[in-house]
Amino acid sequence: MNTMKRLSLLFVLLSFPLVVCAQTPQATPPPPAQPRSGTFPKPVEETLPNGLRVIVIQRSESPLVSAQLLIKNGGEIDPPELAGLADITANLLTKGTQSRDATRIAQEVESLGGSLDSTARWDSSFVNVSVMSSKIGPAMEILADVVRRPTFKSEEVERLRQQYLDNVTLALGDPGSIARFVAARVVFGDSPYGHPIGGTTESLTRITAADIVKLHARYYRPDNAILVIGGDITAKDGLELGKRYFGDWQKPSASLPTASAAMGDKAGKTGRVVVIDKPDAGQAAVYLARTGINRKDADYFRGIVANSVLSGYSGRLNQEIRIKRGLSYGASSSLDTRRDVGPFTAATQTKNESGAVVADLLMGEVSRLSSAPPADPELTPRKAVLIGGFSRNLETAGGLVGQIGSLALYGMGLDEINRYINNVQAITTADIQKFAGTRLDAKTSNIIIVGNAKAFLPELQKKYPNVEVIPVAELDLNTALLRKKQAGE
Amino acid sequence: MVRKSTRFLSVICVLVALPFVAIAQTRMPQMKFSDRTLANGMRVLSVADSSSPTVAIQVWYHVGSKDDPDKRSGFAHLFEHIMFKSTKNMKSEMMDRLTEDVGGFNNAFTADDVTVYFEVVPSNYLETLLWAEADRLSALNVDDANFKSERDVVKEEFRQGVLAPPYGRFEYLLQQRSFAAHPYKRPGIGSIEDLDAASLKDVQEFHTTYYRPDNATLVVVGDFDQKQFDAWVDKYFAPIPKPGRPLPRVEVKEPDRKAEARYTEYGRNDLPAVGLTYLAPRQADPDAAALQIADAILSAGESSRLYNSLVYQQQLAADVNSSFEAREDVSLFVLTAVLSEGKKTEDAEKSLLAEIKKLQDAPVSAAELDKAKNQLITNQLRERETSNGKALALGEAAVLLGDPGRVNTNLGRLQAVTAADVQRVMKKYFTDTNRMVLYYLPEASKPAGKTGEGK
Repeated sequence: MNTMKRLSLLFVLLSFPLVVCAQTPQATPPPPAQPRSGTFPKPVEETLPNGLRVIVIQRSESPLVSAQLLIKNGGEIDPPELAGLADITANLLTKGTQSRDATRIAQEVESLGGSLDSTARWDSSFVNVSVMSSKIGPAMEILADVVRRPTFKSEEVERLRQQYLDNVTLALGDPGSIARFVAARVVFGDSPYGHPIGGTTESLTRITAADIVKLHARYYRPDNAILVIGGDITAKDGLELGKRYFGDWQKPSASLPTASAAMGDKAGKTGRVVVIDKPDAGQAAVYLARTGINRKDADYFRGIVANSVLSGYSGRLNQEIRIKRGLSYGASSSLDTRRDVGPFTAATQTKNESGAVVADLLMGEVSRLSSAPPADPELTPRKAVLIGGFSRNLETAGGLVGQIGSLALYGMGLDEINRYINNVQAITTADIQKFAGTRLDAKTSNIIIVGNAKAFLPELQKKYPNVEVIPVAELDLNTALLRKKQAGE
Repeated sequence: MVRKSTRFLSVICVLVALPFVAIAQTRMPQMKFSDRTLANGMRVLSVADSSSPTVAIQVWYHVGSKDDPDKRSGFAHLFEHIMFKSTKNMKSEMMDRLTEDVGGFNNAFTADDVTVYFEVVPSNYLETLLWAEADRLSALNVDDANFKSERDVVKEEFRQGVLAPPYGRFEYLLQQRSFAAHPYKRPGIGSIEDLDAASLKDVQEFHTTYYRPDNATLVVVGDFDQKQFDAWVDKYFAPIPKPGRPLPRVEVKEPDRKAEARYTEYGRNDLPAVGLTYLAPRQADPDAAALQIADAILSAGESSRLYNSLVYQQQLAADVNSSFEAREDVSLFVLTAVLSEGKKTEDAEKSLLAEIKKLQDAPVSAAELDKAKNQLITNQLRERETSNGKALALGEAAVLLGDPGRVNTNLGRLQAVTAADVQRVMKKYFTDTNRMVLYYLPEASKPAGKTGEGK
């Protein structure tokens, strides 16, 4: 502490006399003042005669409007051999309509200062646009055109196919992306949430324009869609825009196909330990992955609070892995709730040599959630993190639209935004313990490590003799086996 | 601001309302800020707004990666991490207790020219955070165990940013090869060797040298009473003495480039990449606005010239980008392309050069110019949706442009750019002799017998 003393001395010698005489700053932080509460804006909604649900939510502090057209199906409807179909379909919407080609669509919407983003996620596909409020009219006209009248020209299909193939190549060079893909296959096996949502080299090669047209005709229909408009716009103006551009969108006479992503007999095995050996990996990606819960599960709030205890900067994972041991730049977990049971993952990246240690730490912290559940002094701050993040998210047009869209997609009441804080506050230590013990059992979780196996495998094998090692060149993301068939097999 | 390394990765958003004035057809929010400088030299900028019960607090230190000590590349950023360890009156990670634990958040980043610490908290915690920021400006009190553990974290950040992603090293090399003399050539994330060489003694010296009130700007935006805020600033920051020592500044001038420089490097990428860089004028230069517009015309969105030509029409590239990386002393204009499967790096380079030439040979149309302006304005609105975003804009104007008022006048500068301006800056800066070209090819394509980097 010599350095410190010298430093203080220097300050005193060189500073102005008045400053030296100033009162010594206090050694403890001043306590907070009385808190002020905020309010969330109220959504207004109407279902049009064609079945389209239109929701408007006004927040006018910034002159921006975001709009999102959601289709209530996404990657889970991909046929097993056509992984990537829903995502390619969504992406192609903006690549040509009956009256505009791809170049013109981009030019028109970008001239408004915005961009059209269209993609598929699990359970939904969507087109987003975000513009200055003065430009929302023309932006909505283009948004409606691409959703309702896309042409899926074969040259655009070919162009996008090549871009998707390049993206697969790029993703397979990154240990983190490989680990995400493998984790989904391990958890969901050959069931609908198991494949890469952007497809595989093999599946992308098989997709035809006819497949795309068929998917669009079946699922892109007003009674399977939700329009959410949020930001600097009144409910009246928003509803009117919805009616003007989507009111005459015809509902097909065929009934809406029912889709389920439930795993059934195609579920993944549990307790797998999978190593993808990538000898040139600059770092190892380490995942713990297992099934979690669906969005409508009665345990939803227990689940998200339990996850918050593990995740976030001061969550247990980052405490143990980064803050205490310096083994990573960051470790976190996620409880991804979907229409059917979604995944729970705990993940981090570390130097190859620490791969096995970090896998142990992930397993240990997930077990400790039930063996040593958080008492109030630990739990209260983790709830505050959730509540603060939730409230901030509702303070931007994009965040508002995303939150409301997600509630609507899963058939939740939109007023849940007003109950969120109380629902989180109600969760107790016992709730976390029960949830962790019954829904996040470490023993039935899987471990995935992508990295230079030589550096961590011997240590990993000591603890997990069942480890499967797959060289990255033999990795096959098309099946839960994960391994390409060898000649003669 | 460019080349940021952050304390940790996260997404942030909060919103505050401001009065609007009309610019063109859009209501453009003007920031009404208070601006005072304390006797110890610390500048304090604040915007009171109570539309949301939160407040954003930022401290901008005018010290960045360019000020890394000799043989200590990455030090300013490592130091930024250490600022979250023990200070005069705070235990390690106490800043997290005062922010995250009450529903707020904190983070920090180190850029080439500045280091910025920020927090967003429920507004009733404002005084607490002012105390905390004043405390870590006053003195650090870090032990060796904490120092070493945080240094390991930064080494993992290096691996995660540079070694693990297929093009991490490409971006690292682009910066390194772009400057001949200026310390901007040292990557802000540093190197494992230089990080290993850093010591606790370096930490104290760096704090003494650069963390002083006359090198700091406090920016606060959100829900507070102006009088009360000013009193708290007087109480916590005014007593911090201003040292009599001079503040060292980087004096090195980057020489003009005299001839094109070309490099080929090999890495663990499967698709080849090519990068071009041009030295460009400093951030405060009047030409910066026209270069921002040129950047948008080249690469903002799918109707941009580079995307339309290289990705859409010719299908040469899987990804293409340009950026005007504004810096305080000398900037960089960077163009990159990651090739599509089976395409030639030479062809991608030719196409990038052809797009530059088109902008030099003919003025852009009025429609294309308007599009770029609309894109830039919308982005700016989106960045300023949150109190933290507003504080970032205000801090950047004050510290890097030398005038907080620029937060309200930058937009006018963009609006005033003409097609002739864009053509002029394209001719002026995008010359053959001012070009650095970097090919980044897959290791497997390396000719036999060549040794070298890429491991």
